[in-house]
Amino acid sequence: MPDWRRVKDRIFTVATVLLALLAVAPLFHILATVAIRGGSAILRGGVSFFTDPPAYPGSEELGGVGPALLGTLWLGLATSLIGVPLALLTAVYMVEYRESKLARATRVFTSSLLEVPTVLIGMLVFLVVVVPMGRYSLAAGSIALAIVMLPYTVSYVERALDGVPRTYREAGYSIGMTRAQVVFQVVMGIASRGVAAGVLVGVAKVLSETAPLLFTIGSARGSYPTGPQSLLEPGDALPLLIFQFAQTPYSNWQDLAWGSALLLTLIILVIFTLLRLLFREVKL
Amino acid sequence: MLKRLAALLLAVIASMALLSYAGQRWKPEVLDSVVLHGEGSSFLYPQVQAWSEDIRSSYPWLVINYNPTGSGAGQSAFIKNVVDFAGSDPPLTGEAWARLRGSVVQLPVVIGMVAVVYNVPGVEGLRLDAEVLALIYRGEVEYWDDEAIARLNPGIRLPNERIIVVHRSDSSGTTQVFTLYLHKAAPDLWPQELVGKSPDWPVDYTGRGIGGKGNQGVTELVKKNLYSIGYVEYSYAVKEGLSIALLENREGEYVAPSPEAAQEAAKNALSNLPSSPDGDWSSGFDAVIYAPGRGSYPLTTWSFLLFYKEYPGPKAEAVRTFIEWINTEGQKSVVGGYVPIPEELRSINLKAVEMIRVAER
Repeated sequence: MPDWRRVKDRIFTVATVLLALLAVAPLFHILATVAIRGGSAILRGGVSFFTDPPAYPGSEELGGVGPALLGTLWLGLATSLIGVPLALLTAVYMVEYRESKLARATRVFTSSLLEVPTVLIGMLVFLVVVVPMGRYSLAAGSIALAIVMLPYTVSYVERALDGVPRTYREAGYSIGMTRAQVVFQVVMGIASRGVAAGVLVGVAKVLSETAPLLFTIGSARGSYPTGPQSLLEPGDALPLLIFQFAQTPYSNWQDLAWGSALLLTLIILVIFTLLRLLFREVKL
Repeated sequence: MLKRLAALLLAVIASMALLSYAGQRWKPEVLDSVVLHGEGSSFLYPQVQAWSEDIRSSYPWLVINYNPTGSGAGQSAFIKNVVDFAGSDPPLTGEAWARLRGSVVQLPVVIGMVAVVYNVPGVEGLRLDAEVLALIYRGEVEYWDDEAIARLNPGIRLPNERIIVVHRSDSSGTTQVFTLYLHKAAPDLWPQELVGKSPDWPVDYTGRGIGGKGNQGVTELVKKNLYSIGYVEYSYAVKEGLSIALLENREGEYVAPSPEAAQEAAKNALSNLPSSPDGDWSSGFDAVIYAPGRGSYPLTTWSFLLFYKEYPGPKAEAVRTFIEWINTEGQKSVVGGYVPIPEELRSINLKAVEMIRVAER
């Protein structure tokens, strides 16, 4: 005589596990495909995969993604320089002046920015930055990416700052600190891991964005950024290269796209590992 | 707090220095390079990228960048003056050309072909004309052994199977070429409303039409589905080894896509077009599709590069060099899938070299 309650319980457990596996299976499939195809492309290219420009379409040679890799790193840096201070100060304002109308409006605007298709942000930057400048540039791309980054980082940082107990602020005021001192030395200090997490989430998010770059950086696949002044010139980025090369019929270019996909995945993976480490320490 | 800020600043400067060092290290040694930045047609992209590689062996100082965002985006960036040149499948419209009158040159630089592909085992060298294709894409010819197809293919055993009709799901210049051909060659069956980059395919209402994203998507759908038919850029058809249909041209011949047949179409299209690059080429897209002349392949197309007539400083010389090179050396090394332009067209394009000037400020 089977114990039905136990059988039902077992069925439920098995079903849950199976469904969970089903949910993550595509992810593993993607990761495995990228690792295998991208890995073999990078191995074939060797060091020149990281340094050279792409080879002739359809040729036996592979070339590399040097300009795109450098461009992505420059974009990450410049985007952080624009986006992080903006996001931090916005979040501080929203937490410190919670009750003000402007703070509420800001909250609504930043969260609705999440819903705006990122290609629209790229087109806006095209009209506002690229056309007056008279050329595409990595700087224009960074501005677009900073706008994309804003809502993610703001919401993370806001939550982190919000989580700091009121008593710490009061302690700060009691020893005669100004509001700014309390915010930047006490609250930020306590919430620093959460703030760092917000920044990393934002950077990881924008590094893999394609759409805001389509009309802003100009896929300059032959130009290497050689210094900060190159931010004012057209450039290239890994996600853009993947998007554009994957649509061509040339197998060496498709291999470059696969290799870049792996490269980008690894960069994002490093960022998320950092993130995990930060969060684990918070729990202690 | 200050210490932390200082550390952060230091980290930023250090990473900038590191990135700059890597950039200078990886960059090929070239002095005084001139960069030309272009944008537009994604069809033209691999060819322009290949030219930018090739041209460096003769002119190492010339760097060509090209952003494949599509013909429309390229034209609008060109009109807004944010690029040095544009690539476009259709030339400027008569209206846009009139507004820019005298300040632009348009050069057809490379020829392309659209192939009608099918997946019917045992059937090679299928012959089709625009009327039958229009009927298939309208959903009115439903079986492969329909009388309309059989009439064009005496001696070929066609199966009694339903036709799966594949078209592009995304907005596409390839679709525009294909539908324009149907309209020009069979206007009664394929009206003007059905010409465009993403028309409302009548066959979809019969449930036998399916859409694929990009040439790649259509290629895969045709490969995967027995008894299907579709249209793709010629290079995809060749690369994947799909069966290619022979199409009836204006002279009533059945022609397979080939470089010679495409050049024939281009040559014959020239008779109705301006003889100078700064003329009004607005009918140039239309003219090469279903062009007259013996041996012309009807689904032929070409793509234009658009240049200004005036450039600041060294860019003028760079543009002159680029134009001259692509119409001489560049035509010897076109990428697989493209067709070089015929001699007649090269000599028209070369007239543009004399028209490029240094802008006076």
